[in-house]
Amino acid sequence: MASSIFGALTRDTGESQSDDESPRREEPSVRTDGGTVADSAGDPSNATVGDDASALDRLRRSRFLESIPFWGPPALLVFFFVYGAIAWNFVISLTGWEGLGSPDYSSLSTEMYAQLLSDPSFAAAFRNTLVLLLAFTIFSLILGLLVAILVDQKIRIENTFRTIYLLPMSLSFVVTAIFWSWMYNPTNGLINEALRGIGLDAFTQAWLADPQFKLAAIIFALMWQFSGYCMVVYLAGLRAIPKSQYEAARIDGASTIKLYWRVIIPQLRASTMSAAVVLVVFALKAFDFLFVLFGVNPGQSADILSVMMYRVAFDRIQWAYGSAVAMVLFAMTLGVIGPYLYVQYRRGEL
Amino acid sequence: MTRDSQTDEADRLTRRHYVAGAGTLATVGIAGCSGGGDGGDGSDGSDGDGSDGSDGSDGSDGSDGGSSELEIIHWWTAGGEQDAYQALLDGFREEHPDVEIVDNPAPGGAGSAIDTVVQNRVIDGNPPSTFQIWPGQALTPYTDEGLLEDIGDSVWDEEMRNAYLGDVVDLSRPAGNLVAVPINIHRLNNLFYNVSVLDDAGVDPTDIDGPEGLLGVFETLDAETDVTPMAHQTQSPWSSLQLWESIFIGEQGVDAYQTLIGGDVASLEDEVRSALSLLADYLEYIPEDAGSISWDQGNNDVISGDAAFLHQGDWAAGQYRSAEDFEFESDWDMVPFPGTSEVYQSVIDSFVFPTGNPSPEATEKFLNYAGSVDAQERFNPIKGSIPPRTDVPMDEFGDFLSRQFEDFQNSNTQPPAIAHGTAVAPAIQSSLDEVFANFNGNQDVDAAYEGIVNSF
Repeated sequence: MASSIFGALTRDTGESQSDDESPRREEPSVRTDGGTVADSAGDPSNATVGDDASALDRLRRSRFLESIPFWGPPALLVFFFVYGAIAWNFVISLTGWEGLGSPDYSSLSTEMYAQLLSDPSFAAAFRNTLVLLLAFTIFSLILGLLVAILVDQKIRIENTFRTIYLLPMSLSFVVTAIFWSWMYNPTNGLINEALRGIGLDAFTQAWLADPQFKLAAIIFALMWQFSGYCMVVYLAGLRAIPKSQYEAARIDGASTIKLYWRVIIPQLRASTMSAAVVLVVFALKAFDFLFVLFGVNPGQSADILSVMMYRVAFDRIQWAYGSAVAMVLFAMTLGVIGPYLYVQYRRGEL
Repeated sequence: MTRDSQTDEADRLTRRHYVAGAGTLATVGIAGCSGGGDGGDGSDGSDGDGSDGSDGSDGSDGSDGGSSELEIIHWWTAGGEQDAYQALLDGFREEHPDVEIVDNPAPGGAGSAIDTVVQNRVIDGNPPSTFQIWPGQALTPYTDEGLLEDIGDSVWDEEMRNAYLGDVVDLSRPAGNLVAVPINIHRLNNLFYNVSVLDDAGVDPTDIDGPEGLLGVFETLDAETDVTPMAHQTQSPWSSLQLWESIFIGEQGVDAYQTLIGGDVASLEDEVRSALSLLADYLEYIPEDAGSISWDQGNNDVISGDAAFLHQGDWAAGQYRSAEDFEFESDWDMVPFPGTSEVYQSVIDSFVFPTGNPSPEATEKFLNYAGSVDAQERFNPIKGSIPPRTDVPMDEFGDFLSRQFEDFQNSNTQPPAIAHGTAVAPAIQSSLDEVFANFNGNQDVDAAYEGIVNSF
């Protein structure tokens, strides 16, 4: 990709060069660039390598090179502090670093990954992370779509509804975790009180204590927080669809359900994609929510990889093992983001 | 035309200059970054005992920073704890007005946040002057790497050694050298109860025969009254872990417990399983909302008379003191957990002297003060703990703590606690926490036993 941009840029300057009067511009550029160019200019074999020289020339005055000072430093910094840190984390996961000393880089092995595979708490955390990811994303999307379609019906005080639905998204996980723990309280929490109020005493549960319901309760709370975001994304998508399509479908005699199922929802693919990616990333880092509720030990019924990573690295000071968990988490994120970016790139939207 | 091209040239030159300038800046910046990184790597990798090398550089840093600034990292940020800590600092300031204290709290119950803060700073070679930590095995990650200074001569003089009980001194030297100064002791194996609730039910708490007998009392209370037999929380695993410790000591005695924390779980399979299944039985008699509350919310039920018993460290008594119309002996009381009356299972806080210290002199002054009668007499009555020194006058401590102190001096043994760091290394403790987090949910004795074996 970089080479094609580079080619385009050099070609571009090549053309502009032939339009301009080039000799005048060449002189200062030789002076400022100093040594190397002066050497090649003074080279007796200049004539034989004429093509090379002009290629060098072109390279020198290409916009690619000229633009390096602008995108180069930030790119280098990002490369160093983000990708460099990830690479270093990977190297640490190959050591056996434990405790408060320094890592020993002399003997690298994949032992930590082998240990992961035989660790029952990793298996539980991995499974929970997947369940959380899928259930949370899918249900939030469905809920968000339904709410968006309802809000889109030209209702009164639409803005108020929109604000109400979106508001939870603006709250910190710490806040929502604490008040959901009150809502889920089995004796005086709102959920069980409401169930008792409508005579469904049999359905009251110790939501956050019973291993059967723990994860579901967490997913529900997260859905409540993020379906508003899906609604806004879908609402924007719905607004972009021309009114004429609704009218045409009506004239063809489509029912409301058919109208949405056949005509409208298929056009919301881009909205679904972008909302889903954000949701998946939030699901993978739902750390704060669990940490506030249960600390570092949610138990195997609700443990997820990000909590396990923190527990192993900072509670047990097993840095290498924690790094290995982090790499798995990174691979999962990449598995979601990678295809998305590729599809966007293919469509030319990147 | 010429003029035009000249301005053009001038334009280009300025742009070039600008570009070149930006490029130079970027290069310098990156060189600076990578230079720093290289330096760090070099000192880490080049020599095996790299920590010594970095110590030297820290020492020089420290002399720059001024040795009279004392940075203390601690987790005492809740009501009574904070007052106690302030009382300690006030006393220290009176004795050493020249030392400026930089207070650096890392809030989070029982050190959940402080470990991260301190570990990162120690690994970065930038330790605080001193920090709060459980003594015993909790110190081993630091002593393994030689990150704590030996204070056997500078702080632990003959007079101080004689004033502490043997088991407590031993906890201050997990690797042979004395590295920590204990400042307070909480008892863990307490069974608090609401007097009027037990009177109404006709239960005599002093007459309970072992942990099994306590289960019988729970059954009686459950059958004959409306109260919850035992206040308890299962949101975090440590309360169940410490209850299991007390059950184990109550059933098997301290010698078996010492074998257990020594790591030989396999030889105690039946004993461990028996304590686990009794714990599972206990968990039938805890509040319905135990999974959504903290221990002090549970304790409110004891105060209001909705729960009968509470197994907790004696920090729980602070809540009774601040409750209105809830007096010691007439409204609430405490017995040692059944079967452990001769045992004073200890939860201790201490301060240490990290190597590469930014303020060696001030730290030494502070640690000397923390080990003094004056400091412990100021700190402990407010904290609700007893002093580890046996020669502290008990006038200020109130009836309950005076009785605890008497129990402490008469106790046969003061074993460390698993759930509070003194008994096992942090990795084992965290692993056991995970076992009991699962046990709180599923009460699966087999899985928990396997988990305990694998933790050691």
